[in-house]
Amino acid sequence: MEVQKEAQRIMTLSVWKMYHSRMQRGGLRLHRSLQLSLVMRSARELYLSAKVEAHEPGAPLPPARSPDPRLHPREAEAAAEAALLDGEQSSPEPMDTQEAPRAEEPPARCAPRPAKVSRKRRSSSLSDGGDAGLVPSKKARLEEEEEGASSELRDRLQPPAQAEGAFPNLARVLQRRFSGLLNCSPAAPPTAPPACEAKPVCRPADSMLNVLVRAVVAF
Amino acid sequence: MEEDIDTRKINNSFLRDHSYATEADIISTVEFNHTGELLATGDKGGRVVIFQREQESKNQVHRRGEYNVYSTFQSHEPEFDYLKSLEIEEKINKIRWLPQQNAAYFLLSTNDKTVKLWKVSERDKRPEGYNLKDEEGRLRDPATITTLRVPVLRPMDLMVEATPRRVFANAHTYHINSISVNSDYETYMSADDLRINLWNFEITNQSFNIVDIKPANMEELTEVITAAEFHPHHCNTFVYSSSKGTIRLCDMRASALCDRHTKFFEEPEDPSNRSFFSEIISSISDVKFSHSGRYIMTRDYLTVKVWDLNMENRPMETYQVHDYLRSKLCSLYENDCIFDKFECVWNGSDSVIMTGSYNNFFRMFDRNTKRDVTLEASRENSKPRAILKPRKVCVGGKRRKDEISVDSLDFSKKILHTAWHPSENIIAVAATNNLYIFQDKVN
Repeated sequence: MEVQKEAQRIMTLSVWKMYHSRMQRGGLRLHRSLQLSLVMRSARELYLSAKVEAHEPGAPLPPARSPDPRLHPREAEAAAEAALLDGEQSSPEPMDTQEAPRAEEPPARCAPRPAKVSRKRRSSSLSDGGDAGLVPSKKARLEEEEEGASSELRDRLQPPAQAEGAFPNLARVLQRRFSGLLNCSPAAPPTAPPACEAKPVCRPADSMLNVLVRAVVAF
Repeated sequence: MEEDIDTRKINNSFLRDHSYATEADIISTVEFNHTGELLATGDKGGRVVIFQREQESKNQVHRRGEYNVYSTFQSHEPEFDYLKSLEIEEKINKIRWLPQQNAAYFLLSTNDKTVKLWKVSERDKRPEGYNLKDEEGRLRDPATITTLRVPVLRPMDLMVEATPRRVFANAHTYHINSISVNSDYETYMSADDLRINLWNFEITNQSFNIVDIKPANMEELTEVITAAEFHPHHCNTFVYSSSKGTIRLCDMRASALCDRHTKFFEEPEDPSNRSFFSEIISSISDVKFSHSGRYIMTRDYLTVKVWDLNMENRPMETYQVHDYLRSKLCSLYENDCIFDKFECVWNGSDSVIMTGSYNNFFRMFDRNTKRDVTLEASRENSKPRAILKPRKVCVGGKRRKDEISVDSLDFSKKILHTAWHPSENIIAVAATNNLYIFQDKVN
């Protein structure tokens, strides 16, 4: 579990770094992008293998590991870049809720957080369904465990809206992938506490990650 | 009256705050010339500052030649690539000196995209007594000229001027990381992430591409070139290192395009050391031939390795620079320190190697005695004539007095660039925006 969390945190961090490196003076550094994508790939593999191990002892592997439903953008902001980021703010550990003993945890943890109307609704409506992949969140737990690094990330996570730039293709690819997800969930109120909202939690799925990695490197 | 006091207080605190440094002053490269008489530094602001060693005077035998500023000039300016909407940084990535062939000094300096050849020359005489111009340079009325004279050269205050003699531009799509002057003194190479180009000093509008590792499909990219250098004696041989921790030695006689290497140096990965970040810490940040040409030294994030050119399957020697960071890789990834590119240098006799670390520490390894030392470049420790005290990092357990614990290390103070005098024990260490020059103790 720790391994999973750690891997996920690193994946998130890597994506953020990749994104941030586009803004750097001097343009995207190929070597840096390559290194970030390598780390992200390792993190993803670690995450997936840890997940497989966690599910090894008897529990049925959920069929729908499909990427898209896992990404739950919780805000709808007008700026394209903000939308891009929001697309990455997905629920951290939907599969965890599939494990029977933990099923009751998410709603309990969600409760204390204000203005999470959409998420609570979603979890309550879907938790009884068989569609495990759609059930959100261990957001609160992630929040507890994350250190100063993520708070630093939060502060810096208001990039200038810049749909075009040195790598319009990258921006377009990422926007396309994430904007579709935006449309299927209701907008969360923007007054939600930044501690929860601006967290750059990213749960790209396999194919998404491939696209991300490829998009970054191919320029 | 009170205002004056406040101003003084503000000014004083400003000046006392040594940690204040503009980013433009951060030194990005340091290089001695072939005799060691000159020391060049490049910074993030695109400036080059050259120091010259003062001549040792008979009066002060005990006082060894110190380095004073000789010349300062703006080598590169920030540029904008309009086609790609990219700003091109003016930071000087590398300086390489040409061997001296006449009274002037020549050096190559490069930023991410453009290499420039600079001529640094002295002027200590000026012509006086022109016929058509007066002393201020104004044209004289021809009617007033009644005699003819020959202008003579009269001494003047020494003036050092730097002029750009060649500009080698538009040859690199990716960011230039290395330049290296060939031992034939007619050509040099410049390397970026995916390609290496060979230039002739006299020709600026074309270069030969000698290495190209760009895959047909960029999505298949797995490694990039991180550093390259010519062999010190064999003008046909060069090496380049990769982000995967490998070094390739190429012979330009074999083919025009040296994509196929002559030798391939790689150490198999130690499975016990395998971690999440193994791949990125194995990336080689610097490669240097020994002065003899028999060995190459490589620097990756945690170690320095010395390779024998005749043994490709593993390095001859491996030195741990700061192995205590191995357990901290995750934090170092978070604060971006894991991407720092440290350089390494040989001393003149190839018996000692030196490289930098964090907390303004730098390390020296004696290859013969196998002893190593950690020293610190800081203002407090560097009064003139003071002897540097060896430092030690405590890796756990009881911390002795004078030891510093790993968690107390300042990762913002990093020594990436160092240089060693070609024949004497004089070293130059760049610590952010400060340059330290240390000499061997004189008996």
